[in-house]
Amino acid sequence: MLRQAFGKIGQTLVVLFIVSFASFGLLKLAPGDPIQIMLGSEYSPQAYAALSAELGLDQPFWTQYADWALNFVRGDWGTSYVARTDIFTYGFLEALPVTLTLASFSLAFAILIGVPLGVLSAVRKDTIFDAGAAVFALTGTAFPSFLLGILLIWFFGVKLGLFPVMGYVSPWQDFWGGIYHMILPALTLSTYFIAMITRLTRATLVEVLAQPYIAAARARGEPGWRVIWVHGVRNIALPLVTILGLQLGTLLQGTVLTETVFNLPGIGQMLTSAVLGREYGVVQAGVMMTATLFIVVNLLVDLSYPILDPRLRDRK
Amino acid sequence: MTQIDHKKILAERMSARFGRRAVLKGIGAGILAATAGGSFPNVARAQQSGHLKIASVKVIDTLDPHFTGFLSAIQIINNIHNGLLKITYDGEQVAFEPDLAETWDLEDEVTHVFKLREGVMFHDGTPCDAEAVKFSLLRVKEGEPASPHAWKLALLDEIEVVDPLTVKLTFTQPYAFLPVALNGSTGRAGTIVSPAAVQKYGADYGRNPVGTGPFKFVSWRENDAIELEANTEYFEPGLPKLEKVTFVLMREASTALAALMSGQIHGMTDCPMQLVDQVDAFPNATLYGEIEGNYTYLGMNCKRAPFDDINLRRAVAWALNRDTLVKQAYFGRAQQAYTPISPPMTGYFDPDIANSGRGQWFDMDKARAFRAKAANQGEVEVTYMMAERGPVGTRIAQTVAPMLAEIGIKAKLELIEPAAWVQRRNSGDFDLYDFEWVADLDPEETLYPEWKSDGSWNFCGWVNTDFDDLCAQAGTELDVAARAALYHRAEDLLMDEAPCAMMAHMPIYKVFANEVKGFNYIPADLVNLHTVSLG
Repeated sequence: MLRQAFGKIGQTLVVLFIVSFASFGLLKLAPGDPIQIMLGSEYSPQAYAALSAELGLDQPFWTQYADWALNFVRGDWGTSYVARTDIFTYGFLEALPVTLTLASFSLAFAILIGVPLGVLSAVRKDTIFDAGAAVFALTGTAFPSFLLGILLIWFFGVKLGLFPVMGYVSPWQDFWGGIYHMILPALTLSTYFIAMITRLTRATLVEVLAQPYIAAARARGEPGWRVIWVHGVRNIALPLVTILGLQLGTLLQGTVLTETVFNLPGIGQMLTSAVLGREYGVVQAGVMMTATLFIVVNLLVDLSYPILDPRLRDRK
Repeated sequence: MTQIDHKKILAERMSARFGRRAVLKGIGAGILAATAGGSFPNVARAQQSGHLKIASVKVIDTLDPHFTGFLSAIQIINNIHNGLLKITYDGEQVAFEPDLAETWDLEDEVTHVFKLREGVMFHDGTPCDAEAVKFSLLRVKEGEPASPHAWKLALLDEIEVVDPLTVKLTFTQPYAFLPVALNGSTGRAGTIVSPAAVQKYGADYGRNPVGTGPFKFVSWRENDAIELEANTEYFEPGLPKLEKVTFVLMREASTALAALMSGQIHGMTDCPMQLVDQVDAFPNATLYGEIEGNYTYLGMNCKRAPFDDINLRRAVAWALNRDTLVKQAYFGRAQQAYTPISPPMTGYFDPDIANSGRGQWFDMDKARAFRAKAANQGEVEVTYMMAERGPVGTRIAQTVAPMLAEIGIKAKLELIEPAAWVQRRNSGDFDLYDFEWVADLDPEETLYPEWKSDGSWNFCGWVNTDFDDLCAQAGTELDVAARAALYHRAEDLLMDEAPCAMMAHMPIYKVFANEVKGFNYIPADLVNLHTVSLG
């Protein structure tokens, strides 16, 4: 068990190293120069040279990467070029909680809406309800989230005036205010996942409901709700957790657009402006955080299997 | 030797309103001083109320006036700082008035004496005196790291602190651009910062700005908001009127508009042209905006084939249908540009330029005639680089390309990402591109740095030493009529040799909810909030 854990950690470190190097290299390969962006149109060659020396951007690629990597490992994430903020504070303490809040709300929405919808479709297989849910799921998967976001803003925010159209309020400081501000963005981001979970739940459950033990449970005279929600739905947990772990990347990708449309100061906005401004240090921090998040969540998914399915537990 | 009447020139530069307003202000200050001496030390505080929230939809780099390159930053900086001079606008004329200075005198044509207001304090409690002014000017002129605005004070020879409230500036030659260079807005070189704060924060001053302005800096949260609060000790009595101001940093303008319409924010510091119709149709908000000091152009790379051919360039300059451009690319809201000098440059812009015969406009016969003289008579293939940037993105390129096809130029539109676009523009790796120079109030800043031979902004690589000489001469000419004549000659050279095809002068819009009162619009993309209140 211990050896396995060390192995996982070793793997994680190797993956992080590859990710960091690839993102650093790709951004450096992309045309565009942070100093030209920072100085706007009005600058002299002297100002350019001075700034480039100050930021260490006149160094060769390898030196720049090594400098960054050593400092990063030591916990010094650097300072952003333009904003001159500490990247650790900006990225980890300020932006990450916003994205995590958005992602958790979206996941919660996806599960709370997607699972019941899938269960009902499976139970009422081949009815109008099932067909309706299928149409909804297909539309939800196909609809681009940024467009949906704008439509939600116009309908619920501007026309009906029900929800705020932008901004972030931390639910840790103001719980109801936080939820209120998070409803539209989370709904936007989760639509795709609601649809996916609905389909997954339905497919899994339809199969499960045909199993002999379900028939046995019914034969024992257990109430219908118990047969479905206890004996049936329990089987969804494993595929659900697996797919959520794998789709976390898609979810994090979606936060970029959702955060921009709803003006949430999270990792997505941070990464977008950093890539456009060629803020190498900020991009690296964002990539490292999302990569770590992805790896950690998938690690947790692996570890959860034996808990969710007794057949996967070690037998002593 | 002809004598120049400096007093008259100065009087011309300052608006006629100045005298009356100064008297009114003087009275106001007297009343305030009398009350402040009595038992109500916080009388000014009681007047401030309201929390204004406005969206800022463009990138803000730094709040350090001496280092910013962005107008969106200046909009905020200007509420925190003051300059020696400021820009005013009465709906007709742009003028330059003393701001931190109480008076501005010309001793001779190279010596300017500024008498500062008494008792003005920076937000950190240190006095704004002659030494502070000297510190700021030197920081721009020769500070380390070098300020991008240093060129504006290149002619400044000596700064003498005559007494704690008097500063005398001596220039190496008469400097006609000085009013723009020394104002706290678009000039940025004359914005006065707290020396104590610069020493304390160093390179991080841009995140901790300390000025003398109507609002104090409170906080800046990345991608979220910049907060300001009223400076209760502000030197203009009764101002500011608001208690708090939040600039909500937004990237998506359509979300900002939705937030305005649903009442979550009170305004936008910039309203993109494609949203203006929607704002017009919305009854609870008011649009502010006029044609400002800017011009847009199609730039042609003079350094390489095919646009090293002057006749091909001229053909392009006459082939662009500006009516169509204004309608298609600028949503019908811009105004055709004949030359770079734009409407707010009072005394230099010719309101009747359309009939003056100067400049460039659409004339297909002329375009064909020049095309017939071009060296390459076959179909010319060129690369037009465009990016989702600027006020109207790629709309210009898409409108221009079919016009070029009319004269046998096949433009290959290449869409690249903005950072790559800037890099290629600066290194001259293009045939065609479109660009805009904005928020200029004087012909010097609109012509000379942009088009002087080997200048760092002269991306088209046009070389004409006569143009350089004319601009340099105009820079030392203080008489407006004579100076205008020199600039017009310089412009004529530029328009004739056509490294650029003029397109439009653009309106720049701001929008405020109707409950926002007292906003003074100035056609230099400024959002000065000291007179604004929430009704």
